[in-house]
Amino acid sequence: MTNQLLNVRGLETQFNTPEGIVHAVNGVSFSLDEGETLGVVGESGCGKSVTMLSCLKLVPMPPGKIVAGHAFFKGEDMLTMDNDEIRKVRGAQISMIFQDPMTSLNPVMSIGKQMAEPLMLHLGITKEQARNRSIELLEMVGIPQAADRLKDYPHQYSGGMRQRVMIAMALSCMPQILIADEPTTALDVTIQAQIVDLVKRLREELGMAIIWITHDLGVVASIANRVSVMYGGFIIEEAPVKDLYAEPLHPYTIGLLNSLPKINREERQRLYSINGMPPMLFKKPKVCPFAPRCEFVKDHCWQENPVLESYGRDGHRVACWVDVTSGRER
Amino acid sequence: MTNYIIRRLLLVPVLLAGVTLIIFGMLQLLGPVERSALYVVDFPKNEKQIDAVIKRYGLDDPFFVQYWRWLVGVQRPDTQGNIVRDGGILYGDFGYSRTASQEVIDIIKNRFPNTLDLALWTIFPMLSVGIWMGVKAAVNQNKFFDQAARIYSIIGTSFPTFVFGLLLLMLLYANNQWFLPGKMSDWVSILIYSGEFKQYTHLLSIDALLNLRLDIFWDALRHMIMPIITLSYISWATFVRVTRSSMLETLRMDYVITARSKGLKEADVINKHARPNAMLPVVTMMGGSIVGLLGGVVITETVFNYPGIGKAAADAAAQLDVVTILGLAIFTGLILIISNLVVDILYAFIDPRVRLS
Repeated sequence: MTNQLLNVRGLETQFNTPEGIVHAVNGVSFSLDEGETLGVVGESGCGKSVTMLSCLKLVPMPPGKIVAGHAFFKGEDMLTMDNDEIRKVRGAQISMIFQDPMTSLNPVMSIGKQMAEPLMLHLGITKEQARNRSIELLEMVGIPQAADRLKDYPHQYSGGMRQRVMIAMALSCMPQILIADEPTTALDVTIQAQIVDLVKRLREELGMAIIWITHDLGVVASIANRVSVMYGGFIIEEAPVKDLYAEPLHPYTIGLLNSLPKINREERQRLYSINGMPPMLFKKPKVCPFAPRCEFVKDHCWQENPVLESYGRDGHRVACWVDVTSGRER
Repeated sequence: MTNYIIRRLLLVPVLLAGVTLIIFGMLQLLGPVERSALYVVDFPKNEKQIDAVIKRYGLDDPFFVQYWRWLVGVQRPDTQGNIVRDGGILYGDFGYSRTASQEVIDIIKNRFPNTLDLALWTIFPMLSVGIWMGVKAAVNQNKFFDQAARIYSIIGTSFPTFVFGLLLLMLLYANNQWFLPGKMSDWVSILIYSGEFKQYTHLLSIDALLNLRLDIFWDALRHMIMPIITLSYISWATFVRVTRSSMLETLRMDYVITARSKGLKEADVINKHARPNAMLPVVTMMGGSIVGLLGGVVITETVFNYPGIGKAAADAAAQLDVVTILGLAIFTGLILIISNLVVDILYAFIDPRVRLS
């Protein structure tokens, strides 16, 4: 077994809103090995981003609150670290890139200055050294005339270029984990492909582990080794990427895969969609959160919330009372 | 950047033309007969005399003829028979104020340094404390400091200046004589008239420092502190509100999370990333406040009997001195245009999106 980098156990995060407490993450456990790429998929509001932000204590508090759980990074619980300790992890060992490159860079600070910040902070190098390193990094992510572009501001870069800058900045201190929070969602399709290819190439070169959050199942298939599917603040299925696509075990995953348009499907057929709406998380779900929308639903689903358990092939885990191949309760 | 400044500078004459047209246009809303009253001292004995005045000054000429004459003045023979220019605001001739018995331009020359003196000492505490409170309130949202700042902000914006000013006068002057209304004590004005005291800038507090006269400086401050407090407490209330909401909005931005995810100290996240962005709307409001301070703070100057532009305008208005009011209105317009120019240039310095577009 390879070295485990990140091990998250029973993470629960809530948000205090004027309408009540929102239970965004309800006991999530997962782990990440060295050099591995974990895809996290799920629809908007299922808790993917909040889970990852919680690990680094980046959830805005208040209104957010991490109420339970541990997030061990190389054996140390980040959730019990004080501000100074966790700051040494952020950006240096675990860094993040975000969904919208239009808003994730500071508009009134030059790219060079923004890139120099983590370098000078974590590597303790001088301004001049940080400048040279930034040029190298920008060249690494494919920004032409990098030396001239350091003094430019974010609005002078295109969306794809800004995301490249974010990636360069995130990788500047050689982190062991890169958390990519829907990094291609706000970009158009050709740029998406470029960014995915760039991250793949950098993974080869630098060997960092990646957590790739997305709702695009196609992107996950091309980049991840392992996939976690989230729903209603839970991980409901987890499997090596091939197994998940070949034989999904959770009705929600099946629904997601069926809602993908297929190139060989007959013409004029209506695209499949899962009925109903994602759950409002004002109450912590006591029964299976997917039961109201599930096609396989049984009585047991309304009584108890299933836990993630191993079924089928090695490493395939699912939280469901129903065996979808037979349609019967387990 | 240079392009941007040149473009803004080119706008200045256009704006000035607009301001003068509007102000002159307002005067033209009065008929020729009514305006003729501005040119006579005694009641006219009959209509013929009125007609003569209208004819003499061309009060029934077309609008733009009168406007042009108002801008550049007219050529008239003086008592010796030489042709001289009479009037013309472009030459700084704003007319003669009968209530103050001096040229309007002299009123501005005498009074504006006092207003500037007060503004200088108000701007610094006004901005620094107001912005500091706003940022601190936003960072501590819903905690004690924030709640206190919000309550203060509501009280500050709704408490009338003249009531607050009178309360201050009662507490700090009538009861204790700690601070004084007016501009300076008698012994200072005697000293100034004697010519011993060199007036480099005509700003009393600055001149006192330049003359190394701390006693005079203290006297000047003693007269200015009550207006400074009065002006500050209103501005703080609005600055707190605007800075706080702008800062709260900025703290929710993605780039603030990016900054935190890079491992920056929270103080750096706030001071280097969030605050510069949050300052953009505050700078816009700053322009308005500075115009307010320089254009004369009518109520505050009147309450504290402070001889600035605002007091002059209030005195003139109380005596229906149209000429003075017009002159001061144009002067305020000029200040407005210049301050906005300064704010726009300042804005470009802070925001590269403005500077580089």
